[in-house]
Amino acid sequence: MNIQDNYLKNKKNIFFTENEDVENHRKKLINIFEKDRFDKKNNESLKNVNLKNFLDFNYKYLVPEETSVINNNHDNSYSIVSVNGQCASFKDDKIEITKILDEDYNDFSKNDTIEKNDHFVNLNSLFLNSGFKIIIKKNNNIKIKISNIITDDDLTIFQKNNYICEDGSSLNLIEEFENKNNSTSNILNVIKLEKNSQLNHFLIQDNAPDHNLIITTHSSCKKDSIYNQKVYNFSEGYVRNFHYSELIETNSEADLQGIFFLKDNNTSNNKTFVKHLAENCKSNQVYKGILNDHSKATYFSNTHVDQEAQKTEGYQLSKGILLSDNASYFSKPELKIYADDVKCSHGSTIGPIDENAIFYLRSRGMSKIAATKILISSFINEELSSIDNEQMSEKIQKKLVRYLSQVK
Amino acid sequence: MFLEIQDLSVKIENKNILKGLNLNINKGEVHAIMGPNGCGKSTLANVLAGKEDYEILNGKINFKDNDLFDLNIEERAQEGMFLAFQYPVEIPGVNITPFLHSAINSKRKRMNEEEIDNLSFAKLLKSKASDLGINIDMLKRSVNTGFSGGEKKRYEILQMSILNPDLAILDETDSGLDIDALKIVTDGVNKLKTKDNSFLIITHYQKLLDYIKPDYVHVMVNGSIVKSGGSEIAVEIEKDGFQKFQ
Ligand SMILES: Nc1ncnc2c1ncn2[C@@H]1O[C@H](COP(=O)(O)OP(=O)(O)OP(=O)(O)O)[C@@H](O)[C@H]1O
Ligand SMILES: [Mg+2]
Repeated sequence: MNIQDNYLKNKKNIFFTENEDVENHRKKLINIFEKDRFDKKNNESLKNVNLKNFLDFNYKYLVPEETSVINNNHDNSYSIVSVNGQCASFKDDKIEITKILDEDYNDFSKNDTIEKNDHFVNLNSLFLNSGFKIIIKKNNNIKIKISNIITDDDLTIFQKNNYICEDGSSLNLIEEFENKNNSTSNILNVIKLEKNSQLNHFLIQDNAPDHNLIITTHSSCKKDSIYNQKVYNFSEGYVRNFHYSELIETNSEADLQGIFFLKDNNTSNNKTFVKHLAENCKSNQVYKGILNDHSKATYFSNTHVDQEAQKTEGYQLSKGILLSDNASYFSKPELKIYADDVKCSHGSTIGPIDENAIFYLRSRGMSKIAATKILISSFINEELSSIDNEQMSEKIQKKLVRYLSQVK
Repeated sequence: MFLEIQDLSVKIENKNILKGLNLNINKGEVHAIMGPNGCGKSTLANVLAGKEDYEILNGKINFKDNDLFDLNIEERAQEGMFLAFQYPVEIPGVNITPFLHSAINSKRKRMNEEEIDNLSFAKLLKSKASDLGINIDMLKRSVNTGFSGGEKKRYEILQMSILNPDLAILDETDSGLDIDALKIVTDGVNKLKTKDNSFLIITHYQKLLDYIKPDYVHVMVNGSIVKSGGSEIAVEIEKDGFQKFQ
């Protein structure tokens, strides 16, 4: 079935179809799809993607039901179970949670570059059927944990979440994705950091082979704000983590980190696009992967430093261990610098495990397997040991042990 | 026989390195090998430790009643072989203490001995380190990472004294050590020496052999041993070089 027919068929479950502006934009998107026909050659968003999974439209929509649970634990921490992309409304003097609104549709989705280059965001805009908006009010310090649950097989969720951290607020956000069923989540997070705010965003991904997870995040940082993202991907299904970051006012910072543990035929596609638009901003990217069997990863990284953005610091680093000859990690860091007073660098080291190190460890009596495991653990030791949340750290250690148990 | 190498020929990347080498070492003996750069000393050490890059063309090696080629790298170590590397490998992120702890326990396991617990191991490590003049702070670091040349060599000897091998192969452990360190390290070796263990010492300098008295000195040239004898050979080499052996 083509996109347009699909859209018409499912229209009753799609958000904001009454809104004329939204509908006009969607017409435009449908045209783009018809014209472009998902040409893989020139589109990084489609590399390593099994299109059949996403274009054989067999989407099943549930009429959104508010089955989610919000728990205010009274110590400024909240836990949310988001079911099929839905979250119940909630309000107190520190945070406010509502459904996603018409007025939030335009945020990021309506954007020339995206329309041209990122068809998964376009699909998200077109088929949007869930999502929520969370506002952290001024000067509050909040912790939120969200468990993202998909209830049914064959379900596709197109979800858009908006986060707004007001002036001086700080949010520690842990999101868990541990889905077992045959389903697809296409999630767009649009994050706004107001002056002097901070968001530490952790994404723990551990889905079964039949679950596809497509996460796109857009963050924009105002003066003195910090966006920090850490992704731990243990999924056996397809995962894409794309990140678009804009440092729009001075002294703001984006720190992006992705670690992935792949095996079998898993794929992890990573892309970052960081725009430095103001002076004195920092961006730091580290993408590390361990790849076994026939697994594949990509890291397309683009750091753009605007003419205005003097005193920028921008770093990109990718590292990979290939545990099998059939695994591949394609890394393509790019820097476009239009200012003259900047510190930027990129580096990439991807290759098989260090045989000399293995020999050294074994020559002390350690088995080959133990030596391999200890080298893998040491490869990501710095990132994992810096996790300062004990519960999360334990959880990730457990997943690491599980991953290591299949390394031969 | 403790270690018996018969007619060993080895090549790497189409280059013959060891050419019909013979060497016998008995329990309790100290043997030294001297030879010009590139003659194959480290190759011999690596082949004994089990490094897999080499092609064994011919020969037999017997170690403690095992056919050495039947044992993989870690089994050789667990059977009591130890190689102090000429160029110890830096392994960032792998902490020294747990690594050595796990190494000693895998050896004990194979020997059907009881594993050593954390606390006793920490004590053992601390006391051995202080014997060798190794700062306790260094034990918190990653294996060889950022160590100076001399620190790496001391750390090799620390590992040796912890693992207490039956056959220790020291590949130019003296190179890069200052005179005080040389004394400390050789003291460490002498302390470990019993009538039940053996040493194979590769060196370029007779000086080392003043500290560790060898029972035999062998001259290795172009992949085989061309002369064997006592300490007097080392003195001869120190004086005249390898010219006359070639
Ligand atoms: N991976 C390799 N590929 C090709 N040639 C090699 C390789 N490893 C060693 N060789 C060669 O084998 C020969 C013997 O090397 P080896 O390291 O055993 O010498 P050595 O006697 O230990 O020398 P030195 O006294 O300098 O330490 C050298 O010519 C060296 O270049
Ligand atoms: Mg050598």
